[in-house]
This record gives sequence, structure tokens and C-alpha cells, in this order.
Amino acid sequence: METVVNDYVSRELVQDQRLLPLADDTSLLETGILDSLNLLRLVVFLEERFGIAVGDADLLPQNFASVNAICGYVRAREPGKQGAARG
Amino acid sequence: MAYLLQHLLTDAAARRPQRPAVASGDGTLSYGELDRWSTQVARALLRLGVAPGDRVALLAPKSAAAVTALYGVLKAGACYVPLDPKAPAERLAYVVRDSGAAVIIADEARAAQAAALAADVPAAPPILVTGGLAVAAESEEPLTGERAIENDLAYILYTSGSTGTPKGVMISHRNSLAFVEWAAAEAGLGEQDRVCSPAPLHFDLSVFDVFSSCRAGACMAVLPEEAATFPVSIATWLEREQISVWYSVPSVLTLLACFGGLGKFDLSRLRTVIFAGEVFPPKYLARLMAELPHPRYLNWYGPTETNVCTAFEVAAGGNAGDAPAPIGKACANTEVFAVTPDGRRVSEPGEEGELYVRGPTVMRGYWGQQAKTREVLVANPFRAEYDEFVYRTGDLVTLEPSGDYAYVGRRDSMVKIRGYRVELGEVETALYRHPAIAEAAVLPVPDELLGSRLRAFIAASPAALETGELTRDNVLDHCRQWLPGYMVPDLVEFRETLPRTSTGKVDRAGLARN
Repeated sequence: METVVNDYVSRELVQDQRLLPLADDTSLLETGILDSLNLLRLVVFLEERFGIAVGDADLLPQNFASVNAICGYVRAREPGKQGAARG
Repeated sequence: MAYLLQHLLTDAAARRPQRPAVASGDGTLSYGELDRWSTQVARALLRLGVAPGDRVALLAPKSAAAVTALYGVLKAGACYVPLDPKAPAERLAYVVRDSGAAVIIADEARAAQAAALAADVPAAPPILVTGGLAVAAESEEPLTGERAIENDLAYILYTSGSTGTPKGVMISHRNSLAFVEWAAAEAGLGEQDRVCSPAPLHFDLSVFDVFSSCRAGACMAVLPEEAATFPVSIATWLEREQISVWYSVPSVLTLLACFGGLGKFDLSRLRTVIFAGEVFPPKYLARLMAELPHPRYLNWYGPTETNVCTAFEVAAGGNAGDAPAPIGKACANTEVFAVTPDGRRVSEPGEEGELYVRGPTVMRGYWGQQAKTREVLVANPFRAEYDEFVYRTGDLVTLEPSGDYAYVGRRDSMVKIRGYRVELGEVETALYRHPAIAEAAVLPVPDELLGSRLRAFIAASPAALETGELTRDNVLDHCRQWLPGYMVPDLVEFRETLPRTSTGKVDRAGLARN
């Protein structure tokens, strides 16, 4: 999953080529990779690719701070694991 | 008498030195501090040889340090050229070269980027780092004498150019002050206000929070970049910072309305919401006004070349019907009129024409581009007795029965993406720089959130496509070397050739249909 998400972010969202290759723990916020509209594109991608539903209240820095954070969030939201996501 | 932008600061500092001027992640500055520290920047610039009329490039995101720097530039009698820190190096180098910047000011985090940029430019301008020793060593003693008059340039804002390179919109102190004073009065700004615009310094919406706040002695609050990404974070920040006046492009407000969870926050201090830069889709404006019914909602209109020239207040309860809010009537001390294709002045409701603007906010021209300037700063067609120049906006409008103008569309191939102007020709020029691209055409696709998305049609030899020399990814990578993110196409389609009209031009209408 990390590879899939990293590929998407690197290919579609990174504007500044100097930020590539992207490490899975690189901050997508401090580097300015994720802005508000890129965030929505990413959400659509995650919903389609992993079959999850991202709630408005989940659009928070801790869930999208890095490739690792995104994958952690997606795993918790994957079908059958909704209980885990709610903790 | 305030006739230069920096007089707003010296006046505010003399009246209320302790009041907060800028609240930002890098610190809160009082008016006294902002005044004294910007003097140090001015002195450092003078020591580097900056002379009246020189241009100084500024590579820093909106912050206390950046605002201090831009006042320093003005106090030195120079004009500032704000750079987009996120733009590709090639584009930044173009702006620094084209403007002939005498110095590049950068914040500490971008000092290395600025040094690389300076090395890319034949003149190799020196770098001044905000908050660095060179600035701190200077005296805070006010400079004596003025180094500019109101007709001199205060800033140059680079915007997309149809011939392939950005063009610099020259704004004088008089141009800017005319807007700044009108806007402060129109928004009713006072000392108690906390004003935010998330627009970066190279976008002219930022003239409002930087200078109109200062005119009123209000506090300019800078939305931290990490908060700007998440609608809920923006709402959290608005509540915590008790923001009272907000000014942004509609897309940010749409995201707030749809994903901000606004009902959970106490935004009772927010009394005025102003939007500009593109059409606000009516259903999202209605949603925002339903979520947040108490503020005034103002639609301001104007290209960078005139700053704001018309305004419209959306009535409580929203705008009637499904039509977007009109752009309204001319601001005080400004006249607008629409001209029909056969050269008549629009006077009847329902008639359509191109909007022209006359008034003190109209720019001085495009930097170093007299011919291009003359295409848009034209003789007033209804004033035969003497020469007067008015600005042709290229925007088509209709006159409504209320006397308000309503925006219809563009006369040329400029589109708006998140409020940024994009000349399709500039995107096409960037595509043509790719050696394997034979023909390119870029078309806008309407998009509710973004305003437009860009769809690129590319013709290339079958060999280039088969060998993988040309793929969507490498076309996008290529674009990112030359264009800021909002100008990079979203959709890329390959063809063997592009369809042509009978006159030999690319058949855009035909491409748009398939």
C-alpha cells in the first residue's frame, strides 16, 4: 500500500521535482506538497483505490501528514475494520 | 498626508505603537516594531546600493518577516517584486531577470534557494536575509526625506502572459493607495479588527490584508500554511484567532462550507467575508451563508491591472435565483463601462459588452512591455477632447436592471484556476519546449471547485509515443519545470495530429466536442 500511495503522491501531487524521490515519512505539510485542493484529489483517489469512505471530520493533519500516516489511516478505515478506526 | 504606502505604517506607528500589526507563526509585531524593523531593512538595502526606482525581489511566504521586508523595500524608495516560493526555478529566474531586481530578499529558510536563483541570473543580485545580521546591525532611526512620489512603482505583480512568459503588472503607490483606502472604508476596518487573507504576496488579494489593515490600525493575521490545507484546521484557526474580516478566492470558502464543519465552531467574531478572483458557484455560496448566516458577504471584482474596480454586497439570505452574484457597481472614485462589439456604450439592461475601467487604481502598464501595455491601456473611446487612458479588461459583462454588472466570460483564452489567471497560450508555449511535442493545444474544462481544469491535446510522432519518449507523466514533469502547479494540465490526451479549421488554426471547438 505504501508503494501505491507514494507513487500517486509523487506522480500527481508533487510539483517541485527536487522533493523526489519521496520518503514514506516525509512531511507532506512542511514541504507544501499537500494543499487544500490536492488533499481533495488524494481523498478521491484513496476512496476509489481502497474502497473506503473518508469522512469530513477525518480531514485532519494527523491522517495525512505523510505517506505512512495516510496508509495507517486507510488501514483503519478499510472495509471490515471500521470498528478499529473508531477505536 | 499619506501619499506613499509606507506612510500608512509610519502614521499607525505614531498613533498606536503598541497595537499588534502582524500576527504570524514567526511572531507578532506591534506597529512600532514593524516601523522600526522595516527601517533597518531599508537601511540595509541602501547600504547594498539600492536606489530609488530599483526593484527588489522578495522570496518569502507571507509572514511578519516578509511584511517587514516589503515595507523596508518601500522605505528605500524601491518597488518590491513578490516571488512565488513554490514556482519552478526557471520561472523565478525569469521574473528576477525580467524585473532587473537589484537585490533578492529571502527568509532564512529560503536563503539557499535565493542564492541558487541569483546564480541563475547574469546580474547575480546580492541576497539579503530577513532577520539576518546585516539587517540587525542597522540603525532603527527613521530615514530622512522621501525617495519616491506617488506615481512611482510600489510593486510589480507577475501574472500569466499569453505569449509564453509572465508579464509584470506595475502598480504605483497612487494605484495601490486608491484601492487600500477604499477597501478599508468599504469593509469598515477598525483597530479592533483581525484581518486574514490566505492569498500569497504575489497574488493581489494580499494588498488588502497587508495595507488596508495598516490603514485602519487593524491586525493582519497570517493563516499558517499547514492549517490552510485542512478545512477543519482553517475553521479551528479562525475561531482561535478571532478573525473578524476574511478575504479569499471562492474555492477556499467552498471547501470551508463543504468540509469545514463550521457548525462546531464559534465564529461569531467573523463579521465580513469578502471573495474575489473568480465566480463563486451559487450553490456553495448559499451553503456557506446557511452555515454562517451572520457576516456580511461582499463580492469584489477586478483584474490585477486595476485591483478591485466593482463591488457587490450579497443580500442576507443569499442571492435570488441560480445565477452567480453580480460583480456589482463601480467602487468610489472609479468608473466602469461596457462597450459592445460595434463600439457603443452599453446602456440598456440585458446588453452585453466588454468592461472598461477608468480611475486611479488602473496600473501603470506591463514592465518593459510598452506594446503589450498599449493593447490594454487604450484611449477612452468616449472622450474625443483629450487623451485619457482606460483599461480594457477583456471580461464580458451584461448590465442588469439594478444597474449592477454581471460577469459573462472572457473575450480571449484566459481562464481562472483557484483565482489565478492562466493564459492557455503560456501553457502551450511550455508544452512546445518539449522536443517530442509537434503540436499542442490546451482547453479549459469547467470544474466546480477549481474554476477550471486544463486538458492538453498533444500531437506527436507515433515513434515518440511507442518508445515511451512521450507519456502523460513525462509531459507533466516537463510542465512542472516551467509552470507553477495551478498551470500544469490535469488531463493529457495524445493524437497523431490536431484538427485544423479552414484558416489553418487548431480547431479548439472541435477538440472540445470530443
